[in-house]
Amino acid sequence: MAPNTPAILFEARAPVPFPLAWDWQRRLQRRRLDDPSAPDALLLLQHTPCYTLGRGASLAHLGFDPDQPPLPLYRIDRGGEVTHHGPGQLVLYPVLDLQRHGGDLHLYLRALEDVVLAVLRELGLEGERLEGLTGVWLEGRKLAAIGVGARRWISQHGLALNVDGSLEGFKAIVPCGLADRPVARLADWLPSLTPEQVAPLLLAAFARRFGLTLRPPRPQEGLGES
Amino acid sequence: MATHEIFMPALSSTMTEGKIVEWLKKPGERVERGESVLVVESDKADMDVEAFQEGFLAVVLMEAGSTAPVGETIGLIVETEAEIAVAKAAAPAPVAAAAPTPVAAAPAAAVAAPAPPKPAPAAPVPPVPVAAPLPVAVPVRAGDGRVVATPRARKLAAQLGVALASLRGSGPNGRIQAEDVEQATGQPVSVPRVAEGTAPAMAVAGGNGAAAAPAAPAGQAFGRAGETVAFNTLQQAVVRNMNASLAVPCFHVGYTITTDRLDAFYKQVKAKGVTMTALLAKAVGMTLARHPQLNASASDAGMAYPASVNVAVAVAMDDGGLITPVLAAADRTDLYSLSRNWGDLVARSRSKQLKPEEYTTGTFTLSNLGMFGVDRFDAILPPGTGAILAVAASRPVVAALKDGSIAVRRQMQVNLTADHRVIYGTHAAAFLKDLADLIENRPETLAL
Repeated sequence: MAPNTPAILFEARAPVPFPLAWDWQRRLQRRRLDDPSAPDALLLLQHTPCYTLGRGASLAHLGFDPDQPPLPLYRIDRGGEVTHHGPGQLVLYPVLDLQRHGGDLHLYLRALEDVVLAVLRELGLEGERLEGLTGVWLEGRKLAAIGVGARRWISQHGLALNVDGSLEGFKAIVPCGLADRPVARLADWLPSLTPEQVAPLLLAAFARRFGLTLRPPRPQEGLGES
Repeated sequence: MATHEIFMPALSSTMTEGKIVEWLKKPGERVERGESVLVVESDKADMDVEAFQEGFLAVVLMEAGSTAPVGETIGLIVETEAEIAVAKAAAPAPVAAAAPTPVAAAPAAAVAAPAPPKPAPAAPVPPVPVAAPLPVAVPVRAGDGRVVATPRARKLAAQLGVALASLRGSGPNGRIQAEDVEQATGQPVSVPRVAEGTAPAMAVAGGNGAAAAPAAPAGQAFGRAGETVAFNTLQQAVVRNMNASLAVPCFHVGYTITTDRLDAFYKQVKAKGVTMTALLAKAVGMTLARHPQLNASASDAGMAYPASVNVAVAVAMDDGGLITPVLAAADRTDLYSLSRNWGDLVARSRSKQLKPEEYTTGTFTLSNLGMFGVDRFDAILPPGTGAILAVAASRPVVAALKDGSIAVRRQMQVNLTADHRVIYGTHAAAFLKDLADLIENRPETLAL
């Protein structure tokens, strides 16, 4: 596709409850389905603490009763197993027409990994991929979880990169169904790092990888409060 | 009555099968055009599959939790409510979650495996997807005499002039598979004769599929003595491409590469379904990523640098002609996916099922005659690309080592044909030197 296609960037100022962000994504996806010429869009935010389950996810990876979860629990329309979201974790939800970006869901997963790997490189860290285990890893620990869904090649969901904040929430689950793979955050290597510092790197790497120029939403493109 | 099939979609060029996560509609339920009917998952990606017609979901052929090859019919939509019962009667029983393929993931198995759609690393992946060995031998005949066959089998049967009704299906519930049609025509179910690049000559002694093919008649010909035979479509395409190559100023650069470590590494990963073609394509892809000039081509506007490294591999067709299935993003795709992908591409090129983008998007071509013991050859540059690498057999030779000692090493000759408008001698040399270094000293990194 032509480089530097404009895309709308929605950035949330404060942690967003999962259902609200999910609703935004679905509204953006709906817009694209109704109007194929609508621009790509991107949500960058942090969530209030919660758990989400992929559509095919197993309840066996929950260390608690799904009817009595310690944090809100949502079963959502993405691939993959259970994961945890919370403040200190940057979440990027691209709503892209993947047919303009290769029309290949696996390559899309790899491209999202590329974005995180590029951010790590800029921070002087050498992240890696593990064969068959979608995500980005550093010294055997998982820094970024990736899971996507698509309808008529319009994507939703995306990637979650742990920057700082507590990893306590991961202790009650088997993240992504991988029992022997610990979770980590960037602050474990770069102690003073904050999501606010990483966000611009993440957006720039994403824009570069997908050939997009990010711009703020116009008034008529708003999603209500954000 | 109009019955519309719902197929397992391809979510990715590297996807050979997908898992049905959930049917969003129940049999008998009404579906609108564009409405999501089911969800398919491959790796950590989900895709909603929508109905292309309005009507009723009549039959679910593959239950949620089961895995189906791309292109397989997984459900049927009919136009009117009255047709539901007819379609139901005509359809085979749905395939339960655990049955369809050897690597099918029952829900419990899916939990254990981190990436459900991929075969367990230990499971050998044959170069050609062969039908699941289910002991079903009864041709499936529905109440109305309809024969149940996969779409690919139907298309192939039409192309090859095989009567489907005469076949016994080896698929789930006796469904007729493409392989059954091929077998019926006497075509061996194997890779094309010149296809599966199995460079080192070891393939001759029992390699990865090419060697398993029945002995071909000595010397292929398309006509009898005294005849002149018209070019078929594929052969005509070759004629056009070969003539076009005369307008390109090409030169050749050769290199001898020691393959002992590559051969040893291949022995290790062969059991995981890795083919020599995939190894070579990966090595070339990784080296091209560092030598973008070799991936470039001449265009009217100047030197064109493609967005990705797509390694095409030349495959001769049994019925004449040549096709170059493409391993897209060979530098970034892992070795195991490349191997699976190659098996799928070869299988589908034989049945002429490749989409144009699967054989026209190569940015660099690999041609391998190693499996025949050829010790050197050069290749003609395909149009629209800058270079092609001819790979000959790896053979034991007496080699003088750097320290002055003499040893037996396995070596193969590679010969690069390049368009000198874009690629100069130094570019070619640097590329070959790096490729040799990768193959000779670090073949293990191909699996990273």
